[in-house]
Amino acid sequence: MRLIIRDDAEAASLYVANYIIDRIKHYSPTPANPFVLGLPTGSSPLGVYRILVERYKAGEISFENVVTFNMASPGDEYIGIPRDHPESYHSFMWKHFFSHVNIHPSRVHILDGNAPDLEAECVGYEAKIRAAGGIDLFLAGIGEDGHIAFNEPGSSLASRTRVKTLAYDTILANSRFFGNDLTQVPRMALTVGVQTVLEAREVIAIILGARKALALQRCVEQGVNHMWTLSSLQLHPHPMIVCDEDATLELQVKTVKYFKSIEQVACAQGFEQILPSRMRTGPRQATTSTPPASPKTIITPSVEPAEDVTPESPTIFAPQPITSQLLRPQTPAAEYPVRSVSPDLVPDRMASRIPDPRFTRRLTPNPEQQQMAALVLGA
Amino acid sequence: MPLATAPGNGITKLTNCRLVRGSDLVWDDIWVSSATGKILRSQSTFYDELILPDETIDLGGRIVSPGFIECQLNGAYGFNFSTVLDDMSQYVKQVRDLNRRLVQTGVTSYVPTVTSQTSHLYKKVLPHLGPSGRTRVAEDGAESLGAHLEGPFLNPGKNGVHNTKVLREAESIADLEEMYGAKNINPAVAGTALPIPVKMITAAPELGQMTKIIPELRSRGIVCSIGHSEATYEEASAAVAAGATMITHLFNAMRPLHHRNPGIFGVLGTANNNNDNDNNNSSRPYFGIIADGIHLHPATTKIAWNAHSAGFILVTDAMHLVGLPDGTYPWTNGGEAADHFITKKGAVLLLEGSDHTIAGSSIALLDCVNNFLRWSGASVPEALRAVTATPATMLGVQPAKGSLEAGADADLVVLDDETGAVEGRGRSLAVHQVWKFGAKVFDGASEAEAGEGL
Repeated sequence: MRLIIRDDAEAASLYVANYIIDRIKHYSPTPANPFVLGLPTGSSPLGVYRILVERYKAGEISFENVVTFNMASPGDEYIGIPRDHPESYHSFMWKHFFSHVNIHPSRVHILDGNAPDLEAECVGYEAKIRAAGGIDLFLAGIGEDGHIAFNEPGSSLASRTRVKTLAYDTILANSRFFGNDLTQVPRMALTVGVQTVLEAREVIAIILGARKALALQRCVEQGVNHMWTLSSLQLHPHPMIVCDEDATLELQVKTVKYFKSIEQVACAQGFEQILPSRMRTGPRQATTSTPPASPKTIITPSVEPAEDVTPESPTIFAPQPITSQLLRPQTPAAEYPVRSVSPDLVPDRMASRIPDPRFTRRLTPNPEQQQMAALVLGA
Repeated sequence: MPLATAPGNGITKLTNCRLVRGSDLVWDDIWVSSATGKILRSQSTFYDELILPDETIDLGGRIVSPGFIECQLNGAYGFNFSTVLDDMSQYVKQVRDLNRRLVQTGVTSYVPTVTSQTSHLYKKVLPHLGPSGRTRVAEDGAESLGAHLEGPFLNPGKNGVHNTKVLREAESIADLEEMYGAKNINPAVAGTALPIPVKMITAAPELGQMTKIIPELRSRGIVCSIGHSEATYEEASAAVAAGATMITHLFNAMRPLHHRNPGIFGVLGTANNNNDNDNNNSSRPYFGIIADGIHLHPATTKIAWNAHSAGFILVTDAMHLVGLPDGTYPWTNGGEAADHFITKKGAVLLLEGSDHTIAGSSIALLDCVNNFLRWSGASVPEALRAVTATPATMLGVQPAKGSLEAGADADLVVLDDETGAVEGRGRSLAVHQVWKFGAKVFDGASEAEAGEGL
């Protein structure tokens, strides 16, 4: 795991925005091979969106060939927040990002909390992610209880996109958007699952502020635990957490120092996150023939039939490894970067390194031979 | 169809601009469609229809206002609506030319005003002055919302420049129908689904049975306005209770405010609690203000604003001499021939042979807005409201006009904020672009370039 610590929220947001822009530029997405970006809502990523919009307006980045999937959407068939509600995630994403950049609406995906069949909506969402070739980079925020997307404490770490009831803390936190009226806050939400996030080729979580400090500590310094779903990132091959100083308040000094030193060394060596070059440039044509990858037609708006999605919840039948079945042929876990390996020790004689031919005849000093020689000389 | 041959969906996104929303200037984008002529709900266009705009225009921080609505315009560019031509097809052509030129000043909708005339003239011209926006053609320029008949049921004591010879009193609605032509003010007689040509009538309520006629006019969708009147406070209040919702050029051609008999102006001081059951009639009326610096003292304008800002409407009362050089011009005033003369000296129009009878104005509506901005200390959105949302509500054309909300007609004025640009001028706005039905019909920047090229 990489933990990037910046002095303040602005600097942390800038780091994330620059990282995303660099990734997209390296990838050089095309209409046939778009960059697939997972996006969060909430207050933490606001700075990132603002900087992305600024950079777009400055002509430094294009989102033309970027496909996006949003993590979660509050939806409640009882209250029914319409898409145009100012607090809907459609409105959030529109206001802070989509309305300002050149992303095409057919490449934007947000779970629809008002869909007539919510189960079908969830299954279809996973199918769409698959059809887009999987998510290249999932940007995430977290809650104070360490939830990633709306995967509240206690969520299965093998969960997939589904309807989720919200924790009381989340409802309380969200009530500020609904005039502090708890009865107006949706009780349920559609959200991608922990597994869905972990299947992304890369995950970046942005964590800002002292209120998130405990969650960060749990997720970084303690074990994988479904009560802090972000901790599941420890199982991902390429996780990165970007935080500000305030968010590190609960971490041990040695943890902070360790991750800062890693970053310094990495910078000195000229790399940030170690990713296989295939992931960076995304030549997915090599893997298109493998069964799980769908043809490269991007996004059919209609929900695909759920035939190949039958194991929505594989754990019911048999425990599955955390690493995805879906993306296994191209999953990062199968593609660790090749490092130069230190050669095995092959001992040699000191004498062989000396060019003087007289020495080549000499054997390694041997006490027995020396004794023999002394006897001969003495005789 | 405006430029329907252009490829794509005809949607334009205006960005980097400040929208007039209520009493605020809001940084936001606005999407307009030249196909429907309306302002789009951008978010649902994006998510539901999966459409991106054909074109994005960066307005560099300029102000976007709803198109201006002029409630009292007698003519312009040498053409007077109160004119009978031998060949009435020429009249139609002149109105069209006027519309195309008027729109360049930011006035996207207006109420062509006919002064006190003979019955013959009304019947001739009214069929050509009715609402013209039905076809929704941007290139036609400014759109008539229906005619305003300022007379002839006016008080001879407050005639202004109206010819007293043609002024009449009405005893019944039949008198009005006879004067204006029944099919012009009576939808039943007109026998067509199209709106009747007349939108608004200015009359003196104290004469004849006018106050009793007001409810009938209202039921036909005609706005009744008090003006050119000697009405006392009580008479004016009765007219308002009967359904008059407007006062034509407040302070001009009416009794001045007296503290013991406040007259028509006093109606604005009424508490809003009489006739509570009759919701519309109980509210204070709207009123027109000519902010040209000649008709009214700046302080008077401010007093009217403070008295009832929600009813404050800026009008020009401009004559056909607007846009013409100084000089003396003939004027048909009630007679069959051009029997009067008006002397234009700068912005001042006087009836020839008098020193003080003002014969309308020759000012553009935006100049009234700028004057008002300087005199009142009102904010830019408040000043613009007096030529957009307020007149739209008065005329009953909300929400299609006078608003930047989604679903309204995409009539827009893009304004340069030139505050401080000219020494000593104070706050000032200038027209940069005008959009009608979602299509750009005037661009000050390209006009300026063309001018430099010559």
